[in-house]
Amino acid sequence: MSKFTKEMVEDYAEKLLIKLTDEENKMVLEEFDYIDDTINLINNIPNIDKVEPMTHALDDFECSLREDEAGESVPIEDLLSNADFTDGREIEVVKVVG
Amino acid sequence: MSYMDKSLKEIHEALKSNEVTSEELIKESLAKSHEIEDKCNAFVTILDDAKNEVSSDDILAGIPFGVKDNYSTKGVLSTGSSNTLCDYVPFYTATAVENLKKRGAVMVNKTAMDEFGMGGTGTTAHTGIIKNPWDLRRTCAGSSSGSAAAVASGVYPYALGSDTGDSIRKPAAYCGIVGYKPTYGMISRYGLFAFASSLDHCGVLTRSVMDAAIVVDRMKGIDPNDMTSWDSKDIHLEEAVSKELMAKKICYIKELVNIDNYPNASEELKSHLENFQKTLEICKKMGLEVEEVSVDKTLLDALASVYVVISCAEATSNLSNMTGIIFGKRGSGDKWDEMMMDHRTKGFSPLIKRRFVIGSYVLQKENQERYFKNAQRVRRLLVDAWKNIYEKYDAVILPVGLGPAPMLDGKVEMIHQGTEALDEHLQIGNFGGFPSITIPNGFVNDLPVGVNITGNCYNDELVINLAAHLESMMDYKGQIAKEVEHE
Repeated sequence: MSKFTKEMVEDYAEKLLIKLTDEENKMVLEEFDYIDDTINLINNIPNIDKVEPMTHALDDFECSLREDEAGESVPIEDLLSNADFTDGREIEVVKVVG
Repeated sequence: MSYMDKSLKEIHEALKSNEVTSEELIKESLAKSHEIEDKCNAFVTILDDAKNEVSSDDILAGIPFGVKDNYSTKGVLSTGSSNTLCDYVPFYTATAVENLKKRGAVMVNKTAMDEFGMGGTGTTAHTGIIKNPWDLRRTCAGSSSGSAAAVASGVYPYALGSDTGDSIRKPAAYCGIVGYKPTYGMISRYGLFAFASSLDHCGVLTRSVMDAAIVVDRMKGIDPNDMTSWDSKDIHLEEAVSKELMAKKICYIKELVNIDNYPNASEELKSHLENFQKTLEICKKMGLEVEEVSVDKTLLDALASVYVVISCAEATSNLSNMTGIIFGKRGSGDKWDEMMMDHRTKGFSPLIKRRFVIGSYVLQKENQERYFKNAQRVRRLLVDAWKNIYEKYDAVILPVGLGPAPMLDGKVEMIHQGTEALDEHLQIGNFGGFPSITIPNGFVNDLPVGVNITGNCYNDELVINLAAHLESMMDYKGQIAKEVEHE
């Protein structure tokens, strides 16, 4: 019996602000089951918990900070050009607060 | 007389000797673009007004090229092949594209892809299914499907791709061309739509190793806008192509290549593995020592899930800015969350939505340790296994995929399909940021198949050099797709 349920999948989809059809929900459940089985393989690797998780492709990556210098600005018209609803220099949205 | 089916050096020489003009090259490339669009559905945008705007003596000057649609291109529609961005026009150009354009390279089209790079079949683009020019019933693989189809069809000598799991290198194999992603960070990712930032690489698809070297030499470089880019000024790929063979000893992975591991192998897989053995014999003739090494099968069996967990988690986060508010088509609804939900539900394809849910699940606090962190741990074990190999060997050589391009059978791409490690091993190149190149190494059932060479980080010159030497021993350099006859 799967530990994943239709309701769980609906809840995660809701948090992501997406809706799934019943068919899509069923497919996610099948995929969850497959991933869970493979993760069980991983959990059986001896001392897996002692391995440092690898978060980046290069281990010798050096992060250096740039000088704090003002760069070029993007014209406001360019920034707004892809928004469907604008008002002057601002993007128009529905009322969020109050 | 056609030029777009020739190498960069040949086209450059023709331009220099006034045998042809850039305008004529652009015209030829645009005409071919429309022809291939009708046949393969390879493009999102064809730039019919493309012009040669930069005066330069560079080898790329005046020569057309294609750009995958997940690279931002100022003033040119850039959709990532997603309905969420079906009308998005960026106000800046990706550094990798800019580096080519400032040398006079002429962008003539934006190529179609699996939506946002998430997919390996070329079936999820909002403009429809991308078809393989060798056999229109077959997939190009993905996600750089349109770039592969276009280069293989002779639309131009090269097109840009991106590679998060194998998205340059597998389409290259299925289309009979070269696909190269250099070491992580050698090419700036600034302006590339982020899918999974710790795995995303820029790269190129060409018809020869030399052309890949020439293009990447010009795409690469440290970029203040990408903190993960690094200074590669001492790496000269074009020069590396012409040097004596730099590698001495290479290996392949027993668990992936041994036919006995596949009791139900198809005839195509058998032929593919036999063909790979022939390629190994060629390597030996070149003077290389070729050995078989063993890798823990548990790690290889976990490969597909490790990739899915990490890439879905990163994608869920990266694409949370797709709201339809500041860009993208505004969704309908009376409240902000209804508008966003409408935009995201209608805009994303079912495959992406499912991947987001998986990504969100593995990132939940209570699930992180079991799924996300453990996947990252196995990522390290796999990368360490490959780094151990590189202490003794110059490169790993392996076949790409399970044979030639599969049929477009209408099946929905699910994550438990095609999870043979042989079909997935290129992802290790992304886990470790390794330089990795696919070149064509023959035919199975009249369709092209490929072989991959992956080396240690920063050893791009060696990888390119080895690929060029192997390419010179075979007959598949510069090939243009010829549609196969079928009943």
